[in-house]
Amino acid sequence: MQPILKFNNVSKHYPNGVHALRGVSLDVKQGEFISIIGPSGSGKSTLLRAINRLIPISGGEVLLDGEVISKQRGKSLRRQRRKVGMIFQNYNLVYSLSVVQNVLHGRLGYMSGIKGVFGIYSEEDKQKALDLLKEMGLEQFSYNRASDLSGGQKQRVGIARAIMQEPKLLLCDEPIASLDPSSAKTIMELLHDMTQKRNISCMVNLHQLDVALKYSTRIIGLSKGEVVFDGPPEKLTDEMIEKIYGTSRDNLMIGGNADEKADTADCA
Amino acid sequence: MSVNSKENILVLNSPKNKPKRIPVKCKQTNRFIPVFLIGVVVLSVLSLVYLEIDWIKMFSRIPQIGEVFWDLGHLDFANIDLIFTSLIETISIAVLSLLYSLILGIIFGMFAARNVFNIPFLSVITQSFFTFLRAVPTPVWVLLMLVCLGMGPQAGVAGLCVHTTAFFTKSFAQSFESIPDETIEALEVTGANKLTVFTNAILPAAVSQIVAWAGMRLETNFSECAILGMVGAGGIGFVISNSLQGYDYGTAGVAILLVFIVAYCIERIFVRIKKKFA
Repeated sequence: MQPILKFNNVSKHYPNGVHALRGVSLDVKQGEFISIIGPSGSGKSTLLRAINRLIPISGGEVLLDGEVISKQRGKSLRRQRRKVGMIFQNYNLVYSLSVVQNVLHGRLGYMSGIKGVFGIYSEEDKQKALDLLKEMGLEQFSYNRASDLSGGQKQRVGIARAIMQEPKLLLCDEPIASLDPSSAKTIMELLHDMTQKRNISCMVNLHQLDVALKYSTRIIGLSKGEVVFDGPPEKLTDEMIEKIYGTSRDNLMIGGNADEKADTADCA
Repeated sequence: MSVNSKENILVLNSPKNKPKRIPVKCKQTNRFIPVFLIGVVVLSVLSLVYLEIDWIKMFSRIPQIGEVFWDLGHLDFANIDLIFTSLIETISIAVLSLLYSLILGIIFGMFAARNVFNIPFLSVITQSFFTFLRAVPTPVWVLLMLVCLGMGPQAGVAGLCVHTTAFFTKSFAQSFESIPDETIEALEVTGANKLTVFTNAILPAAVSQIVAWAGMRLETNFSECAILGMVGAGGIGFVISNSLQGYDYGTAGVAILLVFIVAYCIERIFVRIKKKFA
């Protein structure tokens, strides 16, 4: 089966001399649920953002659905981008608009000039958006302003917007980093169920190792811009974790029993 | 530092000396403030010398101020129909110029904001052009339009539009730029083009600010309209200047009072509207 996404020796260095990615190569197949883990500054966000060209890469190539996205511009780039949904840490909704309007934003990439500019959505799309909100358990908030929702609800709207795009790949940039534990659980379960049901590949940036282990079919460990681990969660040994984070597993848990003073300072 | 504070403690504790005053100000004071204040004083003195104001004559005329206002207070409602029609004319000029400028300001503000099309050159060109338009005061624009379009309200509308559009372009561009980049990013990744992102995310998020700017500007436009009448663009200003020049203080008093009432109402209404949007 042809991979949805292919990284060929991708590198990225910023003008300030930081090498965010060094020779990253990987394939993503349909329906995979991939967690990307690694300490802050290891290049997790850069990796995700290189996929839909929010960040242009410096070397190598990114192939999305068999086409090189890393060189595309204008209309063909927009056509590629709509195949990739994205979910953000801070939800990034338009808070002055209604919940259903925010969900419908997922359709904008498919709409022609004038209709897109004035936001004239088809009845079919509107029905689909309402159905999706029902599936998310947000139907009673459909016509509320997005600013009225709680954090977990806002993130659910963010997921609905991304699903509305009918993507082949879903990118989640630390989707639960601003949420309380119970909302975080709901969101991870929704992400998992929605993508598995629709056979969408999902790539999630995570800070929480236990969450990554629980939901993913595959884990990618990044350290200083290089892929140091790529495999199923069962194979992620304690030594491997130490290699990714540069500290032992005990130190990753708050209140862990290892010598904290020395190591937590390093990984913070 | 540390040596200093030790000395302070010693001084405070020693019984022989009187206790020193404890300093309360920051040690590093902003040197710009005294420079600025001295600069203002010097400039004021220079202006006074340059203008050669005849202070004695001015003070001797002070009782006249009271007399004029006393006369203005004797409201004369004989010309009330003329006052009302010209007042409505003034309001119409203010509202029309506001409406046209709102539309133009949103369009040009879109070009002037750096985050909409991401073409720095376009933003710089638009902003500098409108800075030039803004630097020339409204009455000058109205006089220019009077020459171009002839006497009457159309010149008032056109002249006010130039300045108001320039003002809106700058303030709307600022409002658009205050929308977080992440929100724009979120819509860009859906594959929407820049214009679509603008109308669906940036504009709705900026509406409350646009309403606030519009309310503020309607007030300004209305009071500027009153001045514009005096240069011949029609409206209540024409009535005020005419009746003042003809020593018809009663009529002028009514007109001035009405201008105040309308301006006050506009302000109150927009305070209400802003509360609803916030």
